[in-house]
Amino acid sequence: MVVQNSKSNILIVEDEKGLRLGTQRLLEEEGYAVSAAENGNEGIKLGTSKEFDIAVIDLRMPDIDGLEVLKEIKNVYPNTVCFIATAFASYETAIQATRIGAYGYIPKPFTPEEFIYQIEQGIKQRELILSAERLKKEREENLFELASEKSRLNAIIKSINEGVLVLNKNGELAYYNYAALKYLNIREINIGENVIDKLPSKIVAVVKTIFSNDTFLLKTYTVQIEIKPNNELILEAACTPVPHPDGSLAGVVVTLGNITEFKKIEVIKSQFVSMVAHEMKTPLAAVQGFLNIIVDDTINVEKEKRKDYLKRSIVRLKSLTDLVNDLLDISRMELRTKHREIENIKVKDILSNVLQMLELEIKKKNITVQKNIEEKLPAIQADQNDITRIISNLLSNAIKYNKENGSIGIKLGSSPNYLILQISDTGIGMKPEERSKLFSEFYRIKNDRTRGISGTGLGLSIVKRIVESYHGKIEVDSQFEVGTTFTINLPINLN
Amino acid sequence: MISDKLKKILLVDDDIDLLEQNKLLLESKGFSVVTAESGKEGWEIFQKERPNAVIVDLIMEQMDSGFVLCHKIKKSSYGKSIPVFMLTSATYETGFKFSAATKEEKEWIKCDGIIHKPVVVEELISKLENYVEATH
Repeated sequence: MVVQNSKSNILIVEDEKGLRLGTQRLLEEEGYAVSAAENGNEGIKLGTSKEFDIAVIDLRMPDIDGLEVLKEIKNVYPNTVCFIATAFASYETAIQATRIGAYGYIPKPFTPEEFIYQIEQGIKQRELILSAERLKKEREENLFELASEKSRLNAIIKSINEGVLVLNKNGELAYYNYAALKYLNIREINIGENVIDKLPSKIVAVVKTIFSNDTFLLKTYTVQIEIKPNNELILEAACTPVPHPDGSLAGVVVTLGNITEFKKIEVIKSQFVSMVAHEMKTPLAAVQGFLNIIVDDTINVEKEKRKDYLKRSIVRLKSLTDLVNDLLDISRMELRTKHREIENIKVKDILSNVLQMLELEIKKKNITVQKNIEEKLPAIQADQNDITRIISNLLSNAIKYNKENGSIGIKLGSSPNYLILQISDTGIGMKPEERSKLFSEFYRIKNDRTRGISGTGLGLSIVKRIVESYHGKIEVDSQFEVGTTFTINLPINLN
Repeated sequence: MISDKLKKILLVDDDIDLLEQNKLLLESKGFSVVTAESGKEGWEIFQKERPNAVIVDLIMEQMDSGFVLCHKIKKSSYGKSIPVFMLTSATYETGFKFSAATKEEKEWIKCDGIIHKPVVVEELISKLENYVEATH
């Protein structure tokens, strides 16, 4: 008898009732757990529903052949040890059954001893199979670590956003990932293939330079390549020599990074610099022109006119100073958020200060100021200089672009979360197309109505930057030739 | 001596300071100068005064930019035969890359030359004279 830790499970598939019940009882007396099926279909159902240690299958049954049952069970549980029991043993069916996976034959009729002996052989076989299986699994688990390290690395390189190509000294492809194919727009490529013809000429030139030198430095050479025109796709290719362990050159690894966005920012930056240079050059040219005329003895300019030219030079220099100050403000704003002195401030007080500062200009144009300020306004947390800048920029615009004898409306109120400042004027107003560009740097509406009004074209862009840095919102409403209203929402509690 | 073919010059610039300076400089050299502060005004004065040469500021940020005015003048039967120069402070250094050096560029920009700010009046006059000499 085989010593068992737990009861072995045995399935009996037998259409003959007496034999089925007899073998079942016999096996149960021996301590096995037995399930019985009275036909082929039921045998398949039981045998594939859970894993049996042993299955004894009758060859001839009224519904389906025992070999069919064997096949189905082996298909699902290949480690179940199966016997075919039959009175019609033939050499052919024996071979066929073995081929499908039967472990042995039990010829009918059999004695209980013969039967139990066969079952015990089957149990031994089952244990051999299971321990072999365990060993195999253990070995696989050990190997798995090693294999997965390699495949993990492979998976990482295959899935990174950077393109990777490795070429050997002959220019043949040793390794690649799909990002490289995508960036270089290569449809098909094979390991071992010479790819020099498929790569952009700029990369080839660098690779050839590396290969042509007998001695090489472990230095990365980079080139930028425009893959799609109009700056749609720009790559940076970094080519680095790969050494053999002995120090000689093995090949080159090329990594490809997408620098399109970076390039776009660079273009915007240089456009901004161009605009600044242009904005500065014009007042400088005007001042230089006036001074040249004044010092030129060949040009006859009356004394009064000379003084006029000097005054106009001062105005141009003042506008240049304003421009420089605005630019400094913008650059400070980009760096500053950290250096802000945040304190509890009352916007109402700042408003009165700014109005006082601009009093002279308001009087000059005979403008009426109507204030509508909510009582018990909450304080906000902000840097005083920022809020002063917002209000003074908006108010000085409301004065500059207003009519003589016009009016300015100032409304200061609150909602549960926001402080709301509204400044409206009875000025020249804007057309919708002008309004859309209003907050762009250096945008100034130029027409007959704005002639003679000076400005840097940066004031509103600064206001917008400040408001947004406090997570606030600025809106503009304007009617052409009627007036403009700016509404600013500033969060009351920064937290 | 100023040739009769260059007697009257039209200057168009929306910067009134630069406009006045250039007018004064050209007048001090004996030219007669008419001015306009916008493209629209420039076109009106061009038709009325029939100048011998036109100098247009490139960046006039109104609907009628310097480009449009140059096109209109060069397309007119009278404008075809007179020198039209473009005045600009936009240079290679500031990133606006264009010149009127080749025939194609002149055809495209519709002017006979570019003058960079600040204007050196002697250079301007010599450019105008060269043009007149070359075409007559």
